[in-house]
Amino acid sequence: MPNTEGFWELVILFVLVLVVVFFLINTLILRKLKNKSKIQSILINVFLALGLLFLFYRIHQIFPEEFNPTGIMLQSIVNSVVNSCVLALATTGIVLIFKTSNTTNFSQGMIATVGAYVAATFILSFATELVELGNFTIVFLAMIVGAVTAFILGILIDVLIIRRAKVITSVGKQMITMGLVLVFAGSIPLVFGTIPLPIPKLSYAPNISFTLFGNLLSITSHGFYSLIISITLLVVLFSALRFTKWGLGVRATASSEVVAGMMGVNTRIITAMSWGIAGLLGGVAAVILTPSITIAGVSMMVPTQVNGFMAAILGSFSSFAGPLVASILIPILNGLLSFVVGLWKNAVVYLIILIIVLVKPMGLFGKKIAKKV
Amino acid sequence: MIYNNEVCKRRKAKFNSIKNHPYFGFVILTLLMLAVQFARVLGVDVPITILRAFGLTMIYIIIALGFSILLGYAGLASLGTAGFVGVGTYIIGYMTNSLGTSIFLILLITIVGAIIIGAIVGFISLRIEGMYLAIITLGLSQILNEVFKNATVFTNGTNGLNLDGIVIFNKLIQINHNAIFVVLAVFMLFIMILTLNIMKSPTGRALLAMRNSESAAQAMGISIFKYRMLAFIVATVYALLGGVFYMSYISFSIPTTWSLAFSLNILAAVIVGGSQSIYGIVLGTFMIFGLNLAVLNQIQFFVDNPAISIVFNGALIIVVIIYYPGGLIRLVNTTVYKLKTKIKLWKKRRKEYIYGSDSE
Repeated sequence: MPNTEGFWELVILFVLVLVVVFFLINTLILRKLKNKSKIQSILINVFLALGLLFLFYRIHQIFPEEFNPTGIMLQSIVNSVVNSCVLALATTGIVLIFKTSNTTNFSQGMIATVGAYVAATFILSFATELVELGNFTIVFLAMIVGAVTAFILGILIDVLIIRRAKVITSVGKQMITMGLVLVFAGSIPLVFGTIPLPIPKLSYAPNISFTLFGNLLSITSHGFYSLIISITLLVVLFSALRFTKWGLGVRATASSEVVAGMMGVNTRIITAMSWGIAGLLGGVAAVILTPSITIAGVSMMVPTQVNGFMAAILGSFSSFAGPLVASILIPILNGLLSFVVGLWKNAVVYLIILIIVLVKPMGLFGKKIAKKV
Repeated sequence: MIYNNEVCKRRKAKFNSIKNHPYFGFVILTLLMLAVQFARVLGVDVPITILRAFGLTMIYIIIALGFSILLGYAGLASLGTAGFVGVGTYIIGYMTNSLGTSIFLILLITIVGAIIIGAIVGFISLRIEGMYLAIITLGLSQILNEVFKNATVFTNGTNGLNLDGIVIFNKLIQINHNAIFVVLAVFMLFIMILTLNIMKSPTGRALLAMRNSESAAQAMGISIFKYRMLAFIVATVYALLGGVFYMSYISFSIPTTWSLAFSLNILAAVIVGGSQSIYGIVLGTFMIFGLNLAVLNQIQFFVDNPAISIVFNGALIIVVIIYYPGGLIRLVNTTVYKLKTKIKLWKKRRKEYIYGSDSE
């Protein structure tokens, strides 16, 4: 239905104009200012936002009038809500572990998959006994069981393996998490059998309709409940990071583990808890994701894992809010670009992220850390 | 017969000079590989799976050697290997099937393409460092994977691409696995010698200096730009050539092979073996790929439970990294050293037992 002719020409032209304007501003005005780099960073963000807005505007433009373009765009954003929730939870877990253990955790997805398998097994074995509780309660209970399993698994991994690898370089730790991926990929079929397990949706109620800016939109009830659960979890986690002693400990450990240890922070418990909470977030994400891909398989979380890394890079590992924004942005971009480029949407999204990171190596919201030589 | 001491000594010295030559081990390894192949040709019952496993392992050794220059010498972590190897397979696949290009021209085009890709990634690496670079190259690999999936004209999409044969002098020749195995073994020898020469040359020392401290290296007049580019170009050239050999040996390429898992396996091979030693990489590649393909697949227990061999592989990686951070080659070296000193001690004691001690 959309007419994509001449789409990219205008977008690329607009981006080029932005680049030229940026260089003009940079050379003519910013040269004389004192806090040059700060303004530069803000300026790049503004220009990137302008570029993305123009992209959205062009997508809006290519729909014929009779299709109600605003409605289609908003609906596509609403449709990506489940993916956004899953990615936000997974990315937060990855960033949490990066902050405390200083490694990119490749096994995050696999821990989450174990959670999903446990949840699915729980449903299969107790569904008949708990049938009077209703669908939502059963799946919610299963989600809690799966998340707690993933929590315990995360803590066990930290206590048994990562803690013993303190002296190893970050690439070595990365390899350990990769070895864990292999261990889990092999042991899941041994424990749960080779047949992938289904998990029902949180709710099979009819779609919830609501009006936004005069457009009638509808969200699946599964998406609605996922959104509520994810927002609750993330709000609790972020306020814990901000206001509790544990959050202070995490931030202290993130800035320097040795100094934090000297100041009386129990970095061992902080790190173990971070692994556990990352596992818990992953478990919830996997249980939410499973119904939309119908069954829990061994490699179900791999795309989420890769996208989570990309989101963490895009938003910068040095903050918690940045990756969250990026992880909401990526599925939305994915959904919208599918109208324009069809199957190539993933490649285009990765390309856009690549270009943004080349322009701003520390990510959208990252600060450059000056290193002492 | 008179026992001529002089000739004997000279012979021994000659043998020692051959034995201590840096290429000696590589040649022995290549000859071992060739011996397996010739045994098969001559009618000894070598299982075909073992032969294929050795062939694949040699391809992975070529790819891993390029990676070791990147990781062990330049200190740059990359997860894009899978994408680059995939590009190599599709270059030969498309050019042979559709255009009928000669294999020599394909090799040339592959190298030129690899240099261009390597320069692009090297340019990216100037701005982004460390873990970020690993993830950005992972993104690059994902983009390439999407291209493999969606550019159906060139790659036949998710169905996978079959190689019809190899064109030599305008003639399409059916693939002869035995011949390719021999070419592969010789090529591996060549790559090993080349890599050793890069490692022991001023270039290798400059890369090492860059790995240890970038600022110090720059202060000594080492151009970061030049050597990062060089490291990435070498790694991508090896990866793409590995891809060409993979395609001509397996003659089938499918996008799902070139996923994150492949890059991680190459990384694991380099880390487990020891990232700065060629023998270490050979050992690591055998551990990660060869052990699984050649040994575990022969034991009935592991054939019945394929999942256990994956668990075993993962556990092996974890144990090696935690307890032998320098790689398995360091373990081997220390063990050999300890054994040698023990044998020397034993010989000395034996002499003392026969002839009496010197100190009396």
